[in-house]
Amino acid sequence: MDSKEKDPKREGTIASYNVSRRDFLKLASTLGFSGLAAGPLVSWLTPAFGQEVPSPLEKYPDRDWEESYRNLFRYDSDFTFLCGPNDTHGCLLKAHVKNGVIASISPTYGYGQSEDVYGNRASARWDPRCCQKGLGMVRRFYGDRRVRGPMVRKGFKEWADKGFPRDPSTGKPPAEFFQNRGKEPFVQVNWDEAFTMVAKGLENIARTYSGPEGANRLKAQGYDEAMIAAMDGAGTRTLKFRGGMPLLGVTRIFAKYRLANGMALLDSYIRGVGPDKALGGRGWDNYSWHTDLPPGHPMVTGQQTVDWDLFTVENSKVIVVWGMNWISTKMPDGHWLTEARLRGTKVVVVAAEYSSTASKADEVIVVRPGTSPALALGMAGIIMKEKLYNEEHVYSKTDLPLLVRTDTWKLLRASDIIKDYKLADLQNFIKVGDPKDFPPPPKTEVMYVPKQLREEWGDFVMWDVIKGKPVVITRDQVGKGFGKAGVGKPALEGEFDVTLVDGKTIKVAPIFALIQQYINNSLDVNTVSEITWAPKEAILSLAREIAANPRSVLLCTGMGPNQFFNSDLKDRAIFLLAALTANIGYAGGNIGSFAGNYRGALFNGLPQWVAENPFDIELDPKKPARPKLYWKSESAHHFDYGDRLLKAGDTTLTGKTHMPNPTKACLWSNRNSILGNAKWHFDVVNNTLPKIEMIATSEWWWSGTCEYSDVVFAVDSWAEMKFPDLYAAVTNPFCQVYPATPLPRILDTRHDMEVAAGIASALAKVTGDNRFADYFKFVQEGKVEAYLQRVINLSQTTKGYNIEKLKADAADGVPALMMNRTYPRVVGWEQAEEDRPWYTKTGRNEFYREEQEFMDSGENIPVHREPIDSTFYEPNVIVGSRQPSMKPKSPADYGIPDSTEDVENRQVRHVVKPWLEVGATQHPLRKNGFKFILHTPKYRHASHTTPTDTDSVAVWQGPFGDPVRRDKRKPFVTEHYLDMNPLDAKELGIEDGDYIYVDGDPQDRPYRGWKPGTENYKVGRMMCRARYYPGTPRGVTRMWHNVYTATFGSVKGHEERPDGLAKNPLTGYQAIFRYGSHQSVSRAWIKPTWETDSLVRKGYFGQAIGKGFEGDIHCAIGAPRESFVKITRAEPGGMDGKGLWEPAAKGLRPTYESAEMKNYLKGAYVS
Amino acid sequence: MSHEVFNWQINRKMTYWYPEHRPRRQFAGVFDINKCIACQTCSLACKTTWTSGKGQELMFWNSVETKPWGSYPTGWDVKALSLLGPQKWGADEYVGATVFEAAPKGERVLQYQPEDMDWCNVNLGEDECSGMIEKGAYLKIPHAVWFFYLQRICNHCTYPACLAACPRGAIYKRPEDGVVLIDQKNCNGHRECMKACPYKRIFFNVVTGTSEKCIACYPSLESGKSNRCFETCIGKIRLQGWINTPEKAQEDNPVDFLVHIRKVALPLYPQFGTEPNIYYIPPKQADPVFLRQMFGPGVDKAIATYKNAKDDPELLGLLLLQGSSDRIIERFKVKDGTAIGYTAKGAEIVRVPLKEPMYVRPYKDVALDVFRHNVT
Repeated sequence: MDSKEKDPKREGTIASYNVSRRDFLKLASTLGFSGLAAGPLVSWLTPAFGQEVPSPLEKYPDRDWEESYRNLFRYDSDFTFLCGPNDTHGCLLKAHVKNGVIASISPTYGYGQSEDVYGNRASARWDPRCCQKGLGMVRRFYGDRRVRGPMVRKGFKEWADKGFPRDPSTGKPPAEFFQNRGKEPFVQVNWDEAFTMVAKGLENIARTYSGPEGANRLKAQGYDEAMIAAMDGAGTRTLKFRGGMPLLGVTRIFAKYRLANGMALLDSYIRGVGPDKALGGRGWDNYSWHTDLPPGHPMVTGQQTVDWDLFTVENSKVIVVWGMNWISTKMPDGHWLTEARLRGTKVVVVAAEYSSTASKADEVIVVRPGTSPALALGMAGIIMKEKLYNEEHVYSKTDLPLLVRTDTWKLLRASDIIKDYKLADLQNFIKVGDPKDFPPPPKTEVMYVPKQLREEWGDFVMWDVIKGKPVVITRDQVGKGFGKAGVGKPALEGEFDVTLVDGKTIKVAPIFALIQQYINNSLDVNTVSEITWAPKEAILSLAREIAANPRSVLLCTGMGPNQFFNSDLKDRAIFLLAALTANIGYAGGNIGSFAGNYRGALFNGLPQWVAENPFDIELDPKKPARPKLYWKSESAHHFDYGDRLLKAGDTTLTGKTHMPNPTKACLWSNRNSILGNAKWHFDVVNNTLPKIEMIATSEWWWSGTCEYSDVVFAVDSWAEMKFPDLYAAVTNPFCQVYPATPLPRILDTRHDMEVAAGIASALAKVTGDNRFADYFKFVQEGKVEAYLQRVINLSQTTKGYNIEKLKADAADGVPALMMNRTYPRVVGWEQAEEDRPWYTKTGRNEFYREEQEFMDSGENIPVHREPIDSTFYEPNVIVGSRQPSMKPKSPADYGIPDSTEDVENRQVRHVVKPWLEVGATQHPLRKNGFKFILHTPKYRHASHTTPTDTDSVAVWQGPFGDPVRRDKRKPFVTEHYLDMNPLDAKELGIEDGDYIYVDGDPQDRPYRGWKPGTENYKVGRMMCRARYYPGTPRGVTRMWHNVYTATFGSVKGHEERPDGLAKNPLTGYQAIFRYGSHQSVSRAWIKPTWETDSLVRKGYFGQAIGKGFEGDIHCAIGAPRESFVKITRAEPGGMDGKGLWEPAAKGLRPTYESAEMKNYLKGAYVS
Repeated sequence: MSHEVFNWQINRKMTYWYPEHRPRRQFAGVFDINKCIACQTCSLACKTTWTSGKGQELMFWNSVETKPWGSYPTGWDVKALSLLGPQKWGADEYVGATVFEAAPKGERVLQYQPEDMDWCNVNLGEDECSGMIEKGAYLKIPHAVWFFYLQRICNHCTYPACLAACPRGAIYKRPEDGVVLIDQKNCNGHRECMKACPYKRIFFNVVTGTSEKCIACYPSLESGKSNRCFETCIGKIRLQGWINTPEKAQEDNPVDFLVHIRKVALPLYPQFGTEPNIYYIPPKQADPVFLRQMFGPGVDKAIATYKNAKDDPELLGLLLLQGSSDRIIERFKVKDGTAIGYTAKGAEIVRVPLKEPMYVRPYKDVALDVFRHNVT
């Protein structure tokens, strides 16, 4: 058995899979493997134990060998770590250590012991928590793509070593140091060198772009003047910091924002300004950058997102899983859905395909991608028409009865009709006053509104049909409080005359009536069925079912519909459906939007960490910090969009509050999404990166982002963290701690916080200002618990916890519970059950948007817009008959051509057409052979790109896995593929498993300015396998998101390495595509209604209400699921490019069925 | 050398290479297909524990396949069924031939050897449905097009075909737990077991030259702990325990309860005749005709019973209890909205509520000086 002992030390590389085909066959034939040896072997067989053993069924003589498996199973010790990718779960896992190496990983079974300070306890039904990606980490911690130490790109090092020389007039660095970014080798340096280089780089860049000279340089480089002006002279504003999804490690990842705040010291040093004028860096968004934010949620509710801990599904009678693949993407919580179903909850799935979640549904409705607004409005229309709505809810918790003036299309205010009207003194869960008096968490008791904003709001008016006159409604009068308004019965339909204070009589109408008018005239059930492909019977049945179950229907939406350009309209429409049926805010009846681990405000004491005043640092670990925000949030979408603004002709549609600054330096943490997997990735690589002077990335795994970085800081993996950190999730109730682990560091890595601290200390040396070093004092001293305890003490969900206790429990595999108001956390519960107002100006769920930006877009009432690219029809057109309330600006108003062809103008093109006309139009690319919608949902084998190139996980990613890579064209042990309806593929002469090219709009994809025959184009054009997929409708293709893209290095590896792996010979980066990626066909999109200055919404932390931009709440979100593509056959799928792919050739694939397969499918083998 | 043995799953006597002998206890598992999410956590648990060495690249003792298009090795059950040909179930018993009875003259089992390229594409067919979606659709139970996940480990059969076929007698069944093992010291790698196993759960190691298979994590089993693939099942679909023959079924034994009392869990391809010891709760959404081919004639009743779980507290309780502990639950009880699992000797292992409670915390916590909100 000795020779058969398995070596527990994992190589963590694909080396063990990397037997060449020739070696494999040689080995196989030596061993007589799989039919390669000739003839039967029976002739030389001999029994192992002679004749004395009559039956091994009964007993076996010598079982000592069994000890070898016991030895293999035994381990020396174990420890707990937290696996924390961007998956909205986060699991405490137990690592089993043998001979100093993690041999395997298991769940802790500690979740059933988690408690809060009140003695509330989760049940053992929460156990176990883990997934295949976490168990596969054992091959990643030791993998060959770990970042081994601080690495610097060769050209960047030369530029830095030469003292950052620049063109004296434009300030631009010489191209020679940047033109080989992504193509040249990295040099490993020591930590001090890396920190110093980045610190000097920050100082140099900030200095270059500070003051009037800096502004002139940026102007000479072609940046928009508004972007430059918004810097207020501070070069530090060109320094961009991004942590990553906040809950994934609140001090670890968010150390980047603390560093951004510290840049105020740098500004002070460079410009000689004091703490009152100094400005920090800019901090990029996360939730909205990932297109996880449902942008319509703040439009309806005034706060970030309505959602709930997934296990509340037990409280519902019906759950509608809408564009969300819960079964594939919410794995550890999959059982709550299947168990609720067992307990009698009806599961209805609305999806663009027959998905894994569809397979768990009682009813499945397959729809056309991007048509959710029409479907929801259509159902709302049925409920309105059949009067199935819940009157009490509609009257008391929505703006639907509020009156709108038909002259201005603004809400009618009490002051419009009552002379010298005095605003109501609001008292229901609100304080109006001066923002400087608003308390921070944990003392935030009610909502806080600046006096000026409250005055802007005014008070509102309903029409009382009993009294036959208008009645004033204040923000306080919601829920039970509505009774105090003295309205007999509010009008929902009709039009009424009111006399204004100036004596003029105008017509007013309830919002309900305006919306109903649009739906009645535009989206009757037959039309909705045509638009959405949902059978009429399905639409009627679901609408009536939702209406029949007030407070018990969960409308559970996911990334699917959110990643279309009409995402905000989708939210507003689905909320309308929920509002009509009293399904908002209840444990069993609510809306949820599930994507991304976003709600940093769950730790609303975070300003203690991300905004401690760098000019006034608290060095007593027992005392709280005194936060002062010097960094400013910014949407990374503008960087992705080419560091440009959204414009319509000469008109800037990016709101002033949203104004980005030019990007010159980037400091990023945490994985691949910001660059390696950016929307329009190849445009960023080809057109935006050349303008950026320094990219410093903290990573533990060499990602696509690292490929294009200048400096890569090697950080600890989750298994080897030496500092504790906090973690929470938006889908479960746990407060988790990353325990510091006993595993020695495998490579020359440091903790993320040490990287921030190291850069700060180097800045202290560069500037002579020791406050930089003090700013991270407890990190340098290894006492980060002081920072964590400050966050815990000031957060409303954790106050009462002690970091030492949390750490000790976590080390035992037991988390604590987040102490929100309820378990499960249900957003809107206080509004539903305790009659609090929402965070809107009316205190109600708002469906009418009177702000000018919405009026200009024709979206003051929720409408259906066709997708901006993913449609067979005219893109982005507003579908319906034009209503008097709709006053969109036309292309001519902006001085732009009314063309559907131009992709940029399409974003700001507001054209209204009834479905009868739209249905007869065509996407402009159809005449050029483009036929397919391509959408890119997320899937079970990845949480973002985190595990997709771990070999043992990757082989499960689809049908093309082969651990020994018999076909050397494969980029890896698996490869990526596009799912097509088999009949569509056949029409194009594409066989199952063939290689194909997939092209997006040639105007700007893969990138603006591409040229055939160039290396850049070859790297950027997508090639992949085609899979015959019977579950997707014709015309709709799908590719799972989050696979590593081709880079210059991976293509070089694929073409030049003897093994054909798409692996960068210089860096080891591993692509899962031979060429291009799913990001070859998507682009950055910005919608005007995402960038208003007027939308009222709660701030990020706490209860204060403001308006306009707020990072991760009201800002650009992109539309990465949008693309319309052309597909062409590239190579045959058979081995080495010959013939048919093996499983198809064997008759085991859809449309290739052998006679045996046909019988099997029919169930004909038994009767 | 043929003997007559009794196979309760087909409810009749049949022939087998060795005389009937049942172990003192038989390891068994129940997999609820309705809850499986095909996450492959079980597969990774198995792979990282047992088969990540050289020569084991293509070896997946545990895997989850999407039916009808998925299979590993490729096409294993289409091939096995077509070799056996169309067969019949009678009113009370299986009247067709088993793989032992259908064996050609001179062979012990009806068999085939997979080809080299069948050991590839472990997740072929993932999430692919039985028929084509062409445009919009509205599906109700059972779905007009469907797929489901089939979880596969060694069945540790009562009448293992591999054991019968091994010419060296190097495969045996442990008397204490019924686990079927290939003696790695004495295996000569002839791969007769690979050919014989109708479920194709024997794998060949090209480096050691031996055949390997699922060992039911016996080092774990021996200490009363769940096997790796059960321990890590986050879909909570897997229930591990000991099965009795129908006449000895005990109502408080979880496996017996599901298999013999409620008859909601069924064996995979019982017609093969090996009396496999992994049982499946059939999926509600799939075509019942296809399911009868796979799980036998008990399918319709099993689905009806499962659909009724909401009104069957004992069944509901057990199905919610399963997978809540990493220890083997040998007895269970459901009482007052709580399901409780015990060891064989009656020591409590775990208890769970049939509905997770809702807690409302104080809005104003004076002692801690904090306000608690859901929107923070």
